[in-house]
Amino acid sequence: MRLDPRTKLFLLLMVSIFIIGGAGGQRAGLFRVLLAVLSFGLLLSTHSYQKVTAYIVVYIACIMLEIFMLPQLRGLPNFILIFMIGTVTRFMMAILLGQYIIATTTVSEFVASMQRMHVTEKLIIPLSVVFRFFPTIGEEVGSINAAMRMRGIRAGSGNLGKMIEYRMIPMMVCSVKIGEELSVASLTRGLGGEAQRTNICRIGFGLPDSIIILFCICGMAVLLL
Amino acid sequence: MNQKKLAGRDLINIGVYTAIYFVIVMAVAMFGFIPIFIPLLTVVVPLVGGIPYMLFVSKIKKFGMLTIMGTIIGLLMFVTGMGYWIILLGIVSGLLADLVLKSGNYESSKRSVLSSAVFSIWVFGNMMPFFLNRESYFAMLLDGYGNEYVETLKGYMPMRIWPVLLIACVLFGFLGGLLGKKICRKHFERAGIV
Repeated sequence: MRLDPRTKLFLLLMVSIFIIGGAGGQRAGLFRVLLAVLSFGLLLSTHSYQKVTAYIVVYIACIMLEIFMLPQLRGLPNFILIFMIGTVTRFMMAILLGQYIIATTTVSEFVASMQRMHVTEKLIIPLSVVFRFFPTIGEEVGSINAAMRMRGIRAGSGNLGKMIEYRMIPMMVCSVKIGEELSVASLTRGLGGEAQRTNICRIGFGLPDSIIILFCICGMAVLLL
Repeated sequence: MNQKKLAGRDLINIGVYTAIYFVIVMAVAMFGFIPIFIPLLTVVVPLVGGIPYMLFVSKIKKFGMLTIMGTIIGLLMFVTGMGYWIILLGIVSGLLADLVLKSGNYESSKRSVLSSAVFSIWVFGNMMPFFLNRESYFAMLLDGYGNEYVETLKGYMPMRIWPVLLIACVLFGFLGGLLGKKICRKHFERAGIV
């Protein structure tokens, strides 16, 4: 099943408003559950079973903590635990949907959909670079962590200054170098030229898109009525 | 082509540095996972964010790049659930930082540090729902988190604290700029990327 990038963005907006933002209160409860189930289903459709299992385990752990641990605590620890459970269960949905979107959308498709929405080039290019760059930074951080572990510089041991010097600075230097290569590569492919760039991606709304958009509109209706 | 206009290379640079800045800010913002530290984010985020910010500023020679960066950060923060005020504040603080930098002709290092202070105002946008939509925001929290939680949070975030938080953003943005300048000199000039 293929969804239009615009539908995915709309869905992410819904998760951000209803699940993280908690709009609609009790009345939107059912809609929120359906939205969460839909997000899980979408991530499952990319065959990343390990990730889905991990999310479900974390979710169940949070619910367990809420049922068994919470009544035992009073005052400040109680406050901190509520906050942590609330944050994890809410933000998990956005991260999950974000992973689905990044896994299933190519940068070209993203650019094509933004052009259809008449967003200015000045925003499209930096935004697509940002999305292209998140996985790269993740890889770099992984390699730097491995190198530092080999040298015996551990995450927990040092103070903040050490963390910055040994992890953040190398990450920035690597990313800037990769960024320079990226920008040369893009210029050779005609980015930033005078002519209007064409795009080979075919995007458009199909039946699954209509169903999901209709579902989201129903949710909005619940909020407004 | 016009030298003052943003070209493809500039737009890509904005994307690269915004991604770096955002990743660092998010890593630092993990402190906010423990609720008592939420007000402290106005100290830590501008301070550490000053490092990638100053590196970015050292590359800027044209007007508008910080405005775009602020807009993108606002959009990303909105999607991660920080309320809609942050988009507005992201655009405004980016624009102001651009103006400060322009006033120094993109060469003055004092103006760069000053622009870091101005740009850091965006961090306050994360806190705005606490103050601007106070009643509805707490009513919404009441549904999800319970009464005791809301009362404690109200205690940590009284109405009168907002000027303190705003000033903290600007002040530590300034210090972050100084820190960034120092680190740029120590590491990046040696590595040959400034």
